[in-house]
This record gives sequence, structure tokens and C-alpha cells, in this order.
Amino acid sequence: MKDLANNTLGIYICTGCGINQAIKINVLQEGISAAFPTATCRAHAALCSEQGIRSIMEDIQTNQLDRIVIGACTPRVHAERFSFDQKILVERVNLREQVAWCQPVGTDDTRMLADDLMRMGITKALNIQVPTPYFLDHVDDTILIVGGGITGITAALEGARAGYPVVLVEKESSLGGWMNHLHKQIPFLQPFQAPITPIVGEKIRELGAEPGITVLKSSVIENISGHPGDFKVTVRQKGILQTFQAGAIVTATGWKPYDPRNLEHLGYGRLNGVITQLDLEKCAGQDQWDRLLPKEPVHGVLFVQCAGSRDPDHLPYCSNYCCATTLKQTTYLREKYPDLPVYIVYKDLRTPGHLEQFYQHIQQDDLLFLTKGDLNSIAEKNGWITVEVNNTPFGETLAINVDLVVLATGMVPSDSSELRIAYRQGEGLPVLKYGFPDSHFICFPYETRRTGIYAAGTARAPMDSASCTEDAAGAILKAIQCIEATRRGEAVHPRSGDRSFPELYLQRCTDCKRCTEECPFGAYDETPEGTPLPHPTRCRRCGICLGACPERIIDFSDLSIESVSAMIKSVHIPDEFEEKPRILAFVCENDAYPAFDRAGQKRLRYDAALRIIPVRCIGSVNKIWITDALSRGFDGIMLFGCKPGEDYQCHFIQGSELTQKRAENFQEALRTMMLEPDRIRMEFIEITDWEKIPGIIRDYVETIERIGPNPFKGI
Amino acid sequence: MEKVVQIKADRLFIRQVKSISNAPLKECMQCGACSVVCKLSPEENPFPRKEMLWASWGLKEKLIGDPDLWLCHQCGDCSVTCPRGVQPATVLSALRHLNYQEYATPRFLAAWLGKPAFLPVIVAIPALIILCILWLAGTLKIPDGPVDYSKLFPHPLLNGTFLSLVVLVVLFFWKGFRRFIRDIRKNQRVKIKNQKDIRFFHQLKEILFHEQFRKCQTNKFRSTAHMLVFSGFLLLLLVTLVAIVNVIFFDYPMSLWHPAKIAGNVGGFALIAGTGIMIFYRLFRKDIIGYSTYSDGSFLIFLLLLAVSGILTEWARFGNWSAAYVIYFIHLVLVWIVIIYAPYTKFGHLVYRVAVLFLASGRQVSGSAGPQVGRSAVGRSANNPQS
Repeated sequence: MKDLANNTLGIYICTGCGINQAIKINVLQEGISAAFPTATCRAHAALCSEQGIRSIMEDIQTNQLDRIVIGACTPRVHAERFSFDQKILVERVNLREQVAWCQPVGTDDTRMLADDLMRMGITKALNIQVPTPYFLDHVDDTILIVGGGITGITAALEGARAGYPVVLVEKESSLGGWMNHLHKQIPFLQPFQAPITPIVGEKIRELGAEPGITVLKSSVIENISGHPGDFKVTVRQKGILQTFQAGAIVTATGWKPYDPRNLEHLGYGRLNGVITQLDLEKCAGQDQWDRLLPKEPVHGVLFVQCAGSRDPDHLPYCSNYCCATTLKQTTYLREKYPDLPVYIVYKDLRTPGHLEQFYQHIQQDDLLFLTKGDLNSIAEKNGWITVEVNNTPFGETLAINVDLVVLATGMVPSDSSELRIAYRQGEGLPVLKYGFPDSHFICFPYETRRTGIYAAGTARAPMDSASCTEDAAGAILKAIQCIEATRRGEAVHPRSGDRSFPELYLQRCTDCKRCTEECPFGAYDETPEGTPLPHPTRCRRCGICLGACPERIIDFSDLSIESVSAMIKSVHIPDEFEEKPRILAFVCENDAYPAFDRAGQKRLRYDAALRIIPVRCIGSVNKIWITDALSRGFDGIMLFGCKPGEDYQCHFIQGSELTQKRAENFQEALRTMMLEPDRIRMEFIEITDWEKIPGIIRDYVETIERIGPNPFKGI
Repeated sequence: MEKVVQIKADRLFIRQVKSISNAPLKECMQCGACSVVCKLSPEENPFPRKEMLWASWGLKEKLIGDPDLWLCHQCGDCSVTCPRGVQPATVLSALRHLNYQEYATPRFLAAWLGKPAFLPVIVAIPALIILCILWLAGTLKIPDGPVDYSKLFPHPLLNGTFLSLVVLVVLFFWKGFRRFIRDIRKNQRVKIKNQKDIRFFHQLKEILFHEQFRKCQTNKFRSTAHMLVFSGFLLLLLVTLVAIVNVIFFDYPMSLWHPAKIAGNVGGFALIAGTGIMIFYRLFRKDIIGYSTYSDGSFLIFLLLLAVSGILTEWARFGNWSAAYVIYFIHLVLVWIVIIYAPYTKFGHLVYRVAVLFLASGRQVSGSAGPQVGRSAVGRSANNPQS
């Protein structure tokens, strides 16, 4: 712990918002002043008011304060108002949501809680430093775009127009990708009525006219090394290698069609008249209908939606584009053959957004027939195909004679290992359950698990070409954000603006490789000797490495093993005869901490035994803190994290999962101390679970009361 | 094993339904909201979703002789609910119209009644027949003296032609009706009950008191208006019979305070009120009525004019108006229009709907339990279709 006689420390207690009713402010202030006699300590009726801010500023000026502790509302509000100079460290203590609003007025327990929280905050402030940002020697502005389809082309245009040099790498000899095969495109502007001319030709022309874009066709990535702000990219173009630098990367490597040979049950490969949407599109483009249909087709054409999609045996997901594509293709047929009926058999016809209008407009055709249903059988008879459809709303099996069956097959993501990323954790992008590299489709679009490498278009998720162009713009903004944040020495995502980064005291490293393996973002490479080689600009500042390190050599300037241990030790532990249990709670800042705040805002009461330490991610909890807390005399320890598993909500993807895995380590700590396994409990809650908090805590307090006080109390 | 149905779309039928109903029929997305909201739809195989589906697929053979069309009172709850604005109520009305056409003998008359261009012909036929009868009877001139309609149209001749006309209409009706019943049996979605199973009095009560009809939400006025027209018409029919009896056995014309005369006047005003409400809503509340077909509209106007001309005829007699005989003639023409075209107009529902109501009287209706049951009915038909 730092010198307690630090006279550059300012402690401020806000008495507004009900804090002064819940706690006797003068008693609290006297206690603090006694413990930290040289610090400036003041109470104010409304610290967030202009007057309040001004009084702090005046103290900073006159007393040369460099550490400010503010006991007031939750740090989730008024962050800007309570930030002064970047050199001045501000620590917030949550006296409002987590004391005044959730505890009874004026009791001893409430006072002790406020007192402990203030002491923990002050102790933390004395044990951490204002972060000094990590600057790269050189941050390159160039954005590398991999893939020259509609996504890549749009991304290149958007990047160049935003003023960033762009290099576009395409493995084929021409740009355009799959869109080159399109006869027409699904409309994406009003009126959503008829298919439109594909926009990719126009985009390619725009690309040619745009300065600042280097296009490398017939090129493949040979190697990508380095880190955001300074990737070293090697490209092989027709046997010739060339190397350049890039600040960020957008991967737009697109999709592959699902292999229709797997769809023999739908007649593909077995019957002549069964084709895929792609086959139809190509024929329509070249007007070669006689390759597919008899000269005068009489029966009709039937489209089978979800051919191998939303099917656990094939692709379990929806590919998003196939329904609108079928609607589009019916117009080709109906224009060419005015008397030919067209049938569509679907599971659900999905036309997101304005495409609903397109659907409704296409439907107006008298000879277009749509039904929900499943293909029961498909057989060739007398030169035509008879399809039987069951499970329809007709309540009967429909037998439909057709000349041609078109299968709407889904999208399979391309293989991201083409990126050849020279990271210790592998050369591709880690994927989610469907094989797409997205890290969280709602909260963090474009983010992959490689900082500075953003997925866009169908490489990220199945989508139509119009969505690809939007995706491209989104991803390029992320790439620009990454370059600029890296230049400022800040984290880009999700702790945008965080200037801290992990620092390793490598002399004590045992090369155990836990940090290099457990980092969800591949931030650590290895030296040839096997010691970790951190790349701070790849880092998302979750602290999972800090939680993993058994040698405790990883620290952030504002979060360290020592600072948290000191906070733990600063809590006053009543002796066992007082019958006041103390529970230490590590609470994830992303979901659980706001849930606690919400519980306070809703004035829910919960037990005053809890002492909360917010953490960046529950994965950053190091075993030593558990041992420290138990030997200090805490009766129990709770860990509040986000939901792990397939539909995880962890902002750092693997934090909660790793914590589950580390549970065994924690239990080992308990065993060596001869303590009961129940002294540690993990809870995974969502931000919306605030209502459950009092119940969860009550249940744990009862458990602790049952097993009795920690025998280490008072030793 | 589900029944297999070979799909053969009837393009002409789709066009007909679209043009009669003026509804964007093909835009139905089969969501089933119409069946959910319908208070009259049975739990098993509810309508109108399946009708919408059949119509948009041009499955004419399923819709001609579809009994469920006649369980619908066109209250419009479905049309108001439909998220695509497809107007199931109007589509069902158009389908009923196509059923009138299908079962009509001769069929061309039904087609004429559906087209405004044929209106003069439609009016001319009864007018010419009446003029012809009068010419043959030698009374085709305005008589002198106080108004006495029998001077223009002698009562035996009037009653004789009226009754033979009714017999003729019944014969034509019977012809279509037999085919209708045969088709309903063929469709077999409704279990045709044995004679003794038909809950005769239950259905009679329903017809007389409109209990199901009153469940309509969107067009609450409809059941009232229909009740007025229905009871008014029934009264007038009774009064006509009493009048015929009176002519033969007692004095005629009857005095203004004769009970039959009072009943006749009450019936006339009920008819005017009922058709008036219906026409008013059709003109000014298109938001809840939706599109109204020409044949329905013209039928309503004929009914209204019939009642108005009837009252005027009466007043003309008591007031000795000089135009009395012209009014009487117009009234007669309107009576004939309504009666002889009955099998080809909306009036046909008198036979078809009543027949279906009696035959299908055993079916469970989800209405009493409200939308919740309806929803489950739709869910079931989507997930586990009945064969």
C-alpha cells in the first residue's frame, strides 16, 4: 500500500439523492478523516452540480491533488462530468445505487457497508496509477480488404472516400465475385417491385475512378503478421511476392453455395429437371432456357425453399437471401413464359425489411402459387416431374406436375484460414457455432476474435447483396476506428478509450503458456524460447491473462494483483461473535454490475454482507485474490459473470467459460485451507436479471450462515 | 395417409374472383388471422383461410359447393384484421356470387345480373311481360274514377300470374339446389346429418333471431339491418298471402286499420329501414364494409325501391293520386325483379344458406370461446392438418 499520509488525495462524498438519509455523513466523514488524516475530505450536497465540480477543481488547484475519490452515484453515470485532467486519477465509489438505494436507512450495517466501500475505493486509488498509453512506433493508415466481391468493392470505396489508402486483394482475375453471375438483383430501393440490374458493374466502374485504391487481382494472401496499426501483409500475385503494411483488415471473402449433391432426397443428381437457384440464374443471364426447359413447357416450375437449410442434417441456419432470390427468379420465368405456372413451397417465406413489399408485389401474379409445406416425394413420370407436397395448410397432400424443380440452397462461409494470419493461435479466424467468424451478431457486428480484422458481408453471416454493401460500410468504419484508437494508444473495443494495457514482469515468467493459450483474442505470440510476446494493440483489456497467470506477473496500471489484494485487506471484518458475515463479490462490469445498479434503482433490498469489487471480466479474477479474501476472514466469495456457453453473453467471449474451468483451481485453494466448497459460488446473470439479485444473495447468505463463520477470521 | 389432391389451377376462376371482389386475393400469405378472428368459424377446418388458399390457387372445384361459404355472414371482422388487406369477407362474398352463377338455371341470367351493362335488359324483361299480360287482358290503359288497381290488373290475373311465377322460380331454384346438395355431399367436409339429427328448431331459432350473426364485431349494424329486412320481407310475404285469401273470400281492398294492412305497413317500413341502413353503410362506411359488389348493391336498391314503391302505391290509392297506376306498375315490376331473379342474386342465400345451416347444424363453432380457441384452430391446421 502507498503512503497513507498522501496529501495529494482528495475524498469527496455526495450527500444528495438520498445518501445523507441512509448514512450519517458526519460519522462516515470522521472515520475517513481519521484513517487518512492528510487527505482533503469534503461532503457536498450535489457533487455533480456545477458548484460541486468547481469545489473539486479548486482543491485540485490549491492542494495539487492528483487522486480523487468520489463517493456518490454509480460510475456508470456522470463519467464525463467527473473526469478532470488525464493526469488526475478518479476513483468512484457507488454510495447511491449500491448503498443508499438498496439498504435500510440509518442502520449499523448500512454505515459499515458505506465505510468499507469508501475504504476500498480509497485503497484502490492509492494503489493504482493513471495509465500511460501504449504507442506503436508507426501506425499505418492503409486498410487491407480481402475479397473483391460486392462487399470488398464497397468497403474499398467507402474506405477510400473516408480518406484512407486501401489495398484490395482478389484471388480471381476479375472483380465482382458471385454477383457477376447474377442476371438481376433483388431490389433494395423504392419501389420494391421488380428485380433491378445488378449494381456490381457500376461499383467496379466507381472503383476504377477512385484514387487511393490499389487493386491486386489474381492474388492470394501469403502471410499476415504483426498487430493492429501495423500488420505486415505478404501477397502473392502470379508467383511474385510483395509485402506492405496495413493498419487494419476487412475480410470479405464471401461464401460458397451449399453442395447440392447432398440433396439427393430432393432429386438433385437423381432427376434431370432438378437444378439449383445458381444454375437458373446463370441460364437466365445467358437466355439459355432451352438448356433447362422443353421448348414449350406446359406444366410449370416449382421452387423448393430451404433446400438443405434450417435442417439439422444439412445447414441448421437460414441463409437469408434465398426466399427473395426465388421471388426474383419467378419473374424471369413468368416474363419468358406467360402461361407457365410457378409454384413455391416454403417452410416460412422470409423477406426481411422492405422486401416484404417485394414479396407482396410479386405475389399479385395470378399464376404464382405459394404454400407452406414439405416435399414428400419427387419422381419423374412420362417426361415430367411429379412433386408431392405435404404438411400444407390445405390439409391434403398436393400432387403438382412440373417441368423443372429449382432448389434454393443456402450459403456456407468461406474458409478464413486463407487469411494466413501468423498468430500463435492459428491462421484463421475463430468461429461461432455455424462456422461464421462473427464474435457477437447483435452487440458487436463485424468484430471477429482478432482485433483489427473485421468480417463483412457473407463472410460474416449469410445475407443478400444489398446487406453486403451496408456491412461493408460498417466494417470499414470499424477498421478506421481501430487505426485511430491504436494511434491514440487506446483500446478499440469493447473498452473503447481504455488506455491501460497488460504489462508483464517477464523475469518471473515460467513459460507456462496459460496467457498465450487462454487469451480469447490471440494477443500473445511467443518468442522462439517460448516466453509470451504480447502485442498490446491486439489486446481488448479484459484481464483474462491477469486472471490466468499463476505467477501473477501481469498487471495493468489501473488494475493489479496488488491493488485488488489491498482492497480486500482494507475491508473491516467483524469478529465471529458479532455474527455479521462478510461476503466478497467479484462483479463483472459489463452485465452484472449494471444489474446491481438496476436493483438499487428499483429500490430492491439485499443483504448488507456483500462487498463488491467490480472487475473488467469475471475471467480476470486471479486465484490469489480468493486466497487473500479467505485468509482475511471473508466467509464467502461470490463471482458474478455473464452467461457462458453457446449463446454466451460474455463481452470477451470466453471469460465466463474460463472462470467455470478455473473453478477447480479455486476449489483447490479451499481444500488447502481446509474450507468448505460452498465458500465460493459462481453466478451467471444477465443485465435483465436484476430482480433475481436479492434472492441469489439471500440464498448464499443462508448457505454461509449454515456452514458458519470462516475460521480464519481474526487471525 | 393424407388425401392426395392433383393441382390444376383454374386461371379464369382466379380472374373472376379477383374482378368480382376487387380484392388483392393473390396477396394472401396464409397467416390465418382471418380464421382466428372469425367468431362463426368452426373449430375443425376453420374458414376463411382455406377458402382464401383455394381461391388464390384457383381450385374451383373445392369452392363450388363449399358449405362453409354459407356459414359466413360477411361481418367483416376478417377483412379488418387481415394484415395484407386481402379482404377475405369480400372474397367469400364473391365466391358465393360465383356459386349462384354456377347453380343458376339458366346460367346467362346470373351473368347478366352481375354486369351493369345488362341492367336495362334486367328491368325490361319483367316490365315487358307485365305489359304483355295487361295487353292480352285488354286493360292496358289508365282507368277512370277513384283509384282501383284491379281495374288495371284484375285480381285473378294478378294472383294467378304471381303464383305461377313463384312456382317457376321454385322450380329453377330446385334444379340448382339439387346440384348444390350433391356437390356438398361430394365435398364431404361437412358430415351430412341424418334427417333426425338435424336440430331443426335450434336452426330455426338461429334463423329467426340471428344469434350467430350477432357475434359479428366490425359490422354490428349488419345483424340489425338484416333482421329488419328479413322480418319486413317475411311480413310482406304473409300479408300478400292474406290479401290473396281476402280477394277470394272477403272484401278487398282492406281498410287501413285491418291487422294485415298494419302488418304490411310495418313490414314495408322495416324493409325501407333495413335496406336504407345497408345502403348507407355501403356508401359511407367503406372502411368497415370494404368493396361491395355490383350485384349486391343493385339487389339492395331494388329491395329499397320495392318497399318505397309499395308504400307509395298504398298512399296513391287512399289519396287518389293521378300517378297511382304508374306507381303501381313500377311496384309490380320491382316485385317481379326481386322474385324472378332470386336464384341469381344475393337473394339466393335464402335457399343455400338455410340449407347449409340445417345440414351443418351439428358442427362445433369456436365463436363462443372467442379468439383463443380460434387461434388454436389455426395452429392445428398449420401443424397437423386434418385429412
